[in-house]
Amino acid sequence: MVNGDVKREETPMNSAQDMKNRNSLKGKIVLVDGENRKTIIDLMKQLLEKKCLDAILVPSQVPDTDSYTWLLVQEGSLLDLCDPLPPVMTVQGGKALSSLTKHGEMEANIGALMRPCEIEAVVELHKLKQIDLDHIILFSIDCPGTVPLSDYMRDPQKMAENFKESIKKWGESESLRPICQICDRFSLFPFAPSSPKSSLSQGGADLPASDIHIGLLGGNDEKIFLWPVTQRGKDLLKKLDLSVHDNLEVWESKVEEVREEKLKKRTAFHDEWSTKIKGVDNFAAIFDECINCHNCMEACPVCYCQQCYFDSQLLTLTPEAYLERAQKRGSLRFPLDTLLFHIGRMSHMALSCVSCGACEDACPMSIPVAQVFTAVGDQVQDYFKYVPGREKEESPPLQIFLEDEFGDVETPGDGLETSHGEAKENV
Amino acid sequence: MSDAIKINKGIEEAVQDLLKSLLEKDKIKGVFTLRKMDDLGAVAYSLFTNADELKNALPLYPFMPVNAGKVLSDFTLQGATQEPVAAVLRPCEIRAFIELVKRTQGDLENILLISSTCGGVYPLKILKGNDQKSRQAQYWESVKKEDIDPELRETCRMCEDFIPHNADMVIAAAGIEDMDTQCTIYLNTQKGKEFASDVPGSKTSEELEGGKIEELKTKRQEQKAKIFEQFEKEQMGLKSLVKMFAPCLGCHGCSHVCPICYCTLCEFDSKTCEYRPTSIESELKLKGGLKVPPGNIYFHLGRMSHMAVSCVSCGMCSDVCPVNIPVATVFSRVGAPLQEVFEYIPGRDLEEAVPSGTYKEQEFMESGK
Amino acid sequence: MNMNDTYMPTIIGFLCNWCSYTGADLAGTARMKIPASLRVVRVMCSGRIDPLFVLKGFLKGADGIMMMGCHPGDCHYQKGNYNARRRFVMLQNIFESLGLEKERIGLWWVSASEAPKYAQVTKEFAEKVKELGPNPLREEIFL
Repeated sequence: MVNGDVKREETPMNSAQDMKNRNSLKGKIVLVDGENRKTIIDLMKQLLEKKCLDAILVPSQVPDTDSYTWLLVQEGSLLDLCDPLPPVMTVQGGKALSSLTKHGEMEANIGALMRPCEIEAVVELHKLKQIDLDHIILFSIDCPGTVPLSDYMRDPQKMAENFKESIKKWGESESLRPICQICDRFSLFPFAPSSPKSSLSQGGADLPASDIHIGLLGGNDEKIFLWPVTQRGKDLLKKLDLSVHDNLEVWESKVEEVREEKLKKRTAFHDEWSTKIKGVDNFAAIFDECINCHNCMEACPVCYCQQCYFDSQLLTLTPEAYLERAQKRGSLRFPLDTLLFHIGRMSHMALSCVSCGACEDACPMSIPVAQVFTAVGDQVQDYFKYVPGREKEESPPLQIFLEDEFGDVETPGDGLETSHGEAKENV
Repeated sequence: MSDAIKINKGIEEAVQDLLKSLLEKDKIKGVFTLRKMDDLGAVAYSLFTNADELKNALPLYPFMPVNAGKVLSDFTLQGATQEPVAAVLRPCEIRAFIELVKRTQGDLENILLISSTCGGVYPLKILKGNDQKSRQAQYWESVKKEDIDPELRETCRMCEDFIPHNADMVIAAAGIEDMDTQCTIYLNTQKGKEFASDVPGSKTSEELEGGKIEELKTKRQEQKAKIFEQFEKEQMGLKSLVKMFAPCLGCHGCSHVCPICYCTLCEFDSKTCEYRPTSIESELKLKGGLKVPPGNIYFHLGRMSHMAVSCVSCGMCSDVCPVNIPVATVFSRVGAPLQEVFEYIPGRDLEEAVPSGTYKEQEFMESGK
Repeated sequence: MNMNDTYMPTIIGFLCNWCSYTGADLAGTARMKIPASLRVVRVMCSGRIDPLFVLKGFLKGADGIMMMGCHPGDCHYQKGNYNARRRFVMLQNIFESLGLEKERIGLWWVSASEAPKYAQVTKEFAEKVKELGPNPLREEIFL
């Protein structure tokens, strides 16, 4: 039942070097008929009708409710429920896609329409062998952010209204999640010279993993920009009889403008949080209220382990051992090892943290988990020159090593030559 | 009539004194109770071993960060404690612990259970904030007057099991108007009496259950009837069920905090519940679409079939739900008739077998045809 | 087109190996008429029928689910069918509380020699389920 001739061709259409010397991107500008949502849905419908795809995974509204969920659609009419940009992130898209493809590929060609941070999670999960991307076509979309899930659940209508407003101002809204307000990866612009991340990026190929990107910025609800990132994306658009010769300059410059704003905010965020989380007392204070429900871990797309170490019984002791531990300080908190859980989880996944905010949304105690993990994650990612979710072929840093690296951490201060000058600057 | 001790101090101070004296006289090696974590309201259960540390204890603080039945299970999972340890729990937490002991997830030996006639707790969502002082005052005012504070957890507002089963000592709280000046602690068991032999306070003999307690019970029952009636009106039937669970993220937080759901690896977190490519394709063929990740209602109904009969209605599940599904109300509503059919009150008696683990030859004769 | 003429309910039967399945076998050898819409799953004992099997069948859109085991007292493993009975009571109770169609599930005792009973109860159940109409869950996407 394979439809279409979507093949896995993993060479991105340009190398990074070409990108730098390129002219403006080529794509297709589609005039909006009515509203963005409808135009995107029509596009998806065409993809199904013309058998370019067998099914497509989209965010959808559950009929007669204010709730959103992921829907794998084969029957085109179901796409009417789709909302490409729902006001909330329910299940992180990476997690959703992983639940579909974890056990090997389907024979069908499947598309998935997601926010950029979800695409990034998809790529991380692909690297961790939790998603099989062979028959998956990824569509990304410019994302203004989402409102916090708890706010939305409290008053869906009002928050949906606020969300609509925030699209107009593109992220400049207090109603959005704090983590979205500082997100500089809201679009799939191929490279961003001003981003500290990309300047550090080792491979240089700071290419997005999506096959087709849907640009909204600069379109003023009158047009949307389709940018085919990969050959597969190009082929797909060709099948829809969409020529890709339009200049996407308008979108590009608008993205760059917003990104600069966001980067400023992100820098300010780091200034603020680097002191907030420093020291055991400060760090512990943030997690004071943690009730050890592990919702953050369950919601995290990157935490994929079937059975988490911190849910296992490896950490239980005998009553006498507990008493002994308690006696050292006069009292012992239960459930045990709340901080160990958070720091431990951090050591497991911070390098792959895509700052999607799902953890913070899921926390019943409103602990700023995503902000803490981003504050730490950005630092370790910079240190390893790793950008999670950008490059499908890149290995996660802890799965590889060079014999000659990070000399500076081995024998600090003994005056020996270090071989990792660049990293040293960032310590 | 049962033995009791009377301490001429406010209820919170009196309980602290009791715990302090037990620790100081070395009758217990440690005590589990809530501990203040900061000045904004955060609390966590702690095992206190030092009497001086008890100044930070908040034994009757009206929040439940985790069901302490789970905490005691963690503590005794590897075996009974050799040294006596006390624990100040709410009645539903004791019931949860008894259910866990039945499932060999804990051990009651050497544990002194101290509980209270419980006024309920607030949802965790309002744990932190600047209004903690006034909320505390509001709480104790309503406990004294036996009013049902509408801000309490829903399961607390409708709880009729607020008189603890199996507690060795019971602190009188609900309906006690002079609790600011004196405190009565009932000694329900021989164990309780022995431990209380030389604690501060005067010995008396009083009746725990009486007019006031009955009144509160009636009030709570009325609440329960109301809440259930509302539930039946809105949530019955397939369509409503789908609607109610529509926002579910599948985070399984409800099962993680549930004291009865003790499995280290839950069936619904396991590979058996994951969809294979073939099943996805057949769903698509049949319905044209598939919700992803699939299986939320299966999870909730399945969990129900596993634990609703032992549900102690503590309300933790509703509290941790990031999308405000009234999980605890549903499970209580489903649990109630189930427990009635099997004549089972979870946590009432350690000797009572869990209904799904036992049978009688002559029962439900009309069920199999 | 009349729905009732074409509608064939899907019924899943969980049959214990020692009694009901043997009974079904006997019915087959005796060429008794069994509803064609019944899909039989053999389990070693009715006590093996996890309530989740029934739930899953129901949620996936099966129109009816039959649990069958040895008569009380006859269980090959002494007590499996007593456990099955409790689980069935529990499931029915949960269905009732949530307003789901509990008529779609049932428990029968069929011994190895009761081929006629097997033929009869399957026929009766199939007719009853047909009257109930298709399980609405078959169409429901948002589960």
